[in-house]
Parts: sequence; C-alpha cells; structure tokens
Amino acid sequence: MTVDLDKYAKPGKSYYIALGLEGSANKLGVGIIKHKLGQLSDSNRAEVLANIRDTYVSPPGEGFLPRDTARHHRNWVVRLIKKALSVAGVKGTDLDCICFTQGPGMGAPLQSVVIAARTLSQLWNLPLVGVNHCVGHIEMGREITRSENPVVLYVSGGNTQVIAYSKQRYRIFGETLDIAVGNCLDRFARTLRIPNDPAPGYNIEQMAKKGKHYVPLPYTVKGMDLSMSGILANIESLAADMFSSKGGKKAVDEETGELITPEDLCFSLQETLFSMLVEITERALAHVQSNQVLIVGGVGSNERLQEMMGLMVRDRKNGSVYSTDERFCIDNGIMIAHAGLLGYRMGQITPLDNTVCTQRFRTDEVFVEWRDD
Amino acid sequence: MTDRLVDEAKLLLRNVSFQIVSQGAEALVFKTNIHPYFNDDQDESSYIIKYRPRKPYRHPKIDKSITKSRTIGEVKFMFKLAKAGIRAPRVVSTDYFNGIIWMEHIGYSLPDGKESTLKNWLWYLEKVRGESLSEEVQRICVEVGYLIGDLHLNDMIHGDLTSSNIMLDKKGPALIDFGLSSYSALPEDKAVDLYVLERAMNSTHADYASEYNSWLLKGYEKAHSDGHYSKQANKSFVEIIKRLEDVRLRGRKRSMIG
Ligand SMILES: Nc1ncnc2c1ncn2[C@@H]1O[C@H](COP(=O)(O)OP(=O)(O)O)[C@@H](O)[C@H]1O
Ligand SMILES: [Mg+2]
Repeated sequence: MTVDLDKYAKPGKSYYIALGLEGSANKLGVGIIKHKLGQLSDSNRAEVLANIRDTYVSPPGEGFLPRDTARHHRNWVVRLIKKALSVAGVKGTDLDCICFTQGPGMGAPLQSVVIAARTLSQLWNLPLVGVNHCVGHIEMGREITRSENPVVLYVSGGNTQVIAYSKQRYRIFGETLDIAVGNCLDRFARTLRIPNDPAPGYNIEQMAKKGKHYVPLPYTVKGMDLSMSGILANIESLAADMFSSKGGKKAVDEETGELITPEDLCFSLQETLFSMLVEITERALAHVQSNQVLIVGGVGSNERLQEMMGLMVRDRKNGSVYSTDERFCIDNGIMIAHAGLLGYRMGQITPLDNTVCTQRFRTDEVFVEWRDD
Repeated sequence: MTDRLVDEAKLLLRNVSFQIVSQGAEALVFKTNIHPYFNDDQDESSYIIKYRPRKPYRHPKIDKSITKSRTIGEVKFMFKLAKAGIRAPRVVSTDYFNGIIWMEHIGYSLPDGKESTLKNWLWYLEKVRGESLSEEVQRICVEVGYLIGDLHLNDMIHGDLTSSNIMLDKKGPALIDFGLSSYSALPEDKAVDLYVLERAMNSTHADYASEYNSWLLKGYEKAHSDGHYSKQANKSFVEIIKRLEDVRLRGRKRSMIG
C-alpha cells in the first residue's frame, strides 16, 4: 500500500504549485515547484518552475552575523519573490500554499523571512506550511536523484548528520559531537583570510587541489559520531605559526623537509575531515544494510568529498552515490517548496499561531507522513 | 562485498579456506576452521578472521596509521578484557601490518540463518515472532547492561557500542569490535559510550528502544551495586548517569545553523 497524496486535491485541478522561502543562514532562496497529481515517480517528476537565490557575503576574515544577515534577507525578499513569480510565469492566486523554513537555523534571519511568508499567506489567502530545513534537503535530494531509500549524509555550515529513513522518520544515526563540518571549514578559512566569495568552502577546495603534503591531524570518530573541534584547534595553531612574524618554528614535511604551505593545510584538513565523514557514512551503511548514499547540504558540492564517497561505495556490492549540483545542495527555496508541498498534500498545514520559527528543530521530529515504506 | 576485496584477502590468507560472514563498517569478517599455526586434525573449533582492508578513499598516510592503530588497539583491548574476565572472543593471532586478527568464533546461527548479534536477534524477534518485550528479552538486555557496567568499572571504553557489536552466545552476551576502544576513568567518557549505544538502539530498534534502553541501564546499574567493586562504584554510577543527561541535552541543544 502506498500513501494517497491526493486526499486534499482541489476538484478539477490536476496539479499543485507551491512557493518556498528559505533564509535560515546567509542564503535567501525563493523556489516555485509543481507536482502533478499522483505519486512522484520517474515518469511523474516534480517540476522546478523557479529557483532563485541571493547570498549575503561577508568580508574576508569575518563570519556572517545574524543581524546583518537578517537585514540582507529583508532587503531582498520582495524582489526575489517577484522575480521567482515572473520566471515561473505564475500569479499568487495560482499557488496552493506558501512554504517556509521553520528551523533549524539562525533566529533573526529565519524570523525576517517568515514575516514575508505570513504576509503572502494573508494577501493571497493561502495556507502556510512550516518546513524542517534538513528534511527539505533530504526530500529535494531524493527527488532530483530519484534515489529510493539512501543513507543520507547531510553536511552544511551548521549541520553534520548521517541519516537513514525508518518508519516515517528520518533518523539520525550519527552526527557531530561539537562543530559542523562547514563551520570548521569556514572558521579555518577565516584564520587564513581566505575570501568568503563565492563561499569559503569553495575556495578551500580550490586551494586543496594544489596541496602536496599531508600534515597529520587528529582523527576522531566515536561510533557513528565524530568530533571536529580538536582538528580545528590543531590546524589553526599550525596556521598561526605559519603567519607569525617572529619566524617561530614553521611546520615542514617529514619526508621532504619542504615548508608546509597554506595549500597543504587546506588539503590536509579536507582529507582528514572527509575521511571521517566517509567512514561514519560507511558505518551507517553497514548498520542498516544499505548500499546507496545521498549527499546533501552545501559541503556536498565539494568534488573531493563526492569522489571519496564514490571510492568507498565501489567496494560495497551494488553501491552507488547520489549527489546534486549547487543549485540544489546549497540552501535554496525550491527544496522548501518541495518538502512543504509533500506535507501539504498530506494535510500538514501550519496554522498562523504555530508559525514561530525555532533555531533548534531536529530532523527526527518531523512526521514523514508522505512515505510509508 | 566486492571481488576485489575478496581477492585481496585470499592473497593475504593463502591456503586458508574461509566463508564470508560480513562486510561490516570497516572490516571484512571471515569464518574458518583452520587454526593459524597449529595443525590439529582433531580440532573442530571455528575461528573468525577480521581483516581491515586498505580504504582507497583515504590518503595512504591516514589509512596506514588508522589500520595499524585500530588493529593493535583492538588486540590489546581483547587481551585486557580476557584478563579482567569480561566476555569477548579470545585473540588467536595477529598481523598488524596487514590489518588481520584471528580470534575465537562465538555465537550461533539464528533460525533465520544470521549470526547471533544482539541486533539480528532483536530484529528476528521484532519481525518474525512479534514478541519483543518478553521476559527473555528483558533478561538478555539486563545481562548486556551488566557486561557494559563491568567494562566501565575496569575503566575501559568500547567506543562503538551498537547492537551489532554485541554477540549473544550460549554462555551469555559478549562484546566484539574494539577498533575504537580506549581507556578512561572519566564519567564523561563512560557517559558518551552509553549515549552512543542509546542512540544506536533508538535508530535501529525504534519501536522498542525505550524499553531496551531502560533494561540496559538497569543491568548497568546492577553491575555498579553488586559489590564486586569498591564502594565507590555506586557513587560513580550516579555521576555517570548525571553526565549522560548532560550529554543527551548537549545533543538536543546543539545549535544547528544552515
Ligand atoms: N568473534 C566473532 N564470532 C562470531 N562472529 C563475529 C565475531 N567477530 C565478528 N563477528 C561477526 O562479524 C560482524 C562484524 O564484525 P566487527 O568486529 O563488528 O567488524 P566491523 O568493524 O566491520 O563492524 C559482527 O557484527 C558479527 O556478526
Ligand atoms: Mg561492528
């Protein structure tokens, strides 16, 4: 038996259209998605009508502050919504619902975007659907790659989780015990004053390609959990030595005696962090006896991570890795529209009184009513 | 598991015939009737060969150091467990360089043909027989908790407690898989060990996890109050549980941005 996704379909209408608003971190995203009636399948896929994003970029050496990020979102949200509607060629009255990120994320930016969502809902008399950001990533990743029931590695600026579906929940098998992988990369980029444009992680990835020497770093995996703060402290002190004017002891490669470069540090940091991520993913695969991996979240666009994951699954029978490009793995509005619409189709509507956003909203709190496998 | 891995193993284990038991998280596990150095036709025991293959995804330097430290760490831990009288397979022989450990085979085959890990046994009961909350399950969970209590009272940390790393044997439960093990007397480390298990139970046995977890903790407490250990044991139990609550809260409160 499969779930009936059309219990709430409007008579005479053969499709649904939803608008999604995302602003839980420094990206503001607006997406418009269309589902035709019936189960989503290879021949009945969700249709992306618009997917627009604007990123708040902070100066090198600085992270994005909640207040400034919220201001950015407020300044841009109306323009982005108008643009999305015109790209999609739809009017507010064509929509079925307004979906918004309810959490997790940074408080002020979340709150600035939900105000836009509430306003639209009242303007056009449409129901609101609050969406868990992580579930948005997972559902969009599944839809784009059409992977059935993968183990999900969710890696972004604020999250690091290994997730598998079971009994209508996305259950967290492993996660970081301290900081998120994206946060670790961003903070290291700040130490090295690597630019935040287009993204610190992207710039580290490019520098890492030029790295030659591996500098040993702590490697901390606990069961399916991992810890990254020790690595960050270690590599930040290496970087500090590198830039100290006093000509203190600078790190050299053990074999060649060559000086360690910033590129070597980027390389070593990525190799270490990603090895741990691939290892905990493999642990989860073994544990749930699966062989599919889906990588979602901003760090998921890193090609080295994708490559390493590919090498791992190659040694598991019928293994495969699914990932999406930056349009879908970096925070975006379309994933919120898509996951929200799945909820809407099951009757999951968020009354105005309950649209308060929350910074902490765990992936496994969401009732995944639209799946029953 | 793929042929490449099996071929690699065959090359390292020349003249040893083996059956594949599992491709676990990081190791390949084989079963054999051949003893690595005795040549005894009367010997009918079976042995487990645990092989940590090269992981092509990671940098060779990371790979070498992990394989070596985990293999050595696991063997030393098993040796200490044997000395402390905590149930676990005995080591038969090792090859650190190639990441191979031979050990005693424990457990039996479940009616569905799977190895008797706690996970497989509970799954079998959950799926096939629908009698997950029987007294027998409770008794076994309490025994497992007791075993983990014993482990911690020896200041030994498993590091990867899941229901697949606990074997059920005719003589009672036993621990396996010590690649992530360590030694510590800190309540924090013991609490994290318990937290890892609790989370593994929640995700693998979602429907019954709260009962299983409470029985496990009951056994864990029992080990601390049984009087085999110093009077401090009771006090340290209280401290560990307090820590466990902190660790849980930390998990839920961790800010999750982006
Ligand atoms: N000594 C043993 N006796 C019987 N079965 C074992 C033994 N050791 C391992 N196994 C089986 O192999 C599986 C994987 O072994 P494990 O040591 O946990 O490796 P991994 O690190 O890959 O999880 C176990 O879950 C169990 O089914
Ligand atoms: Mg194991």
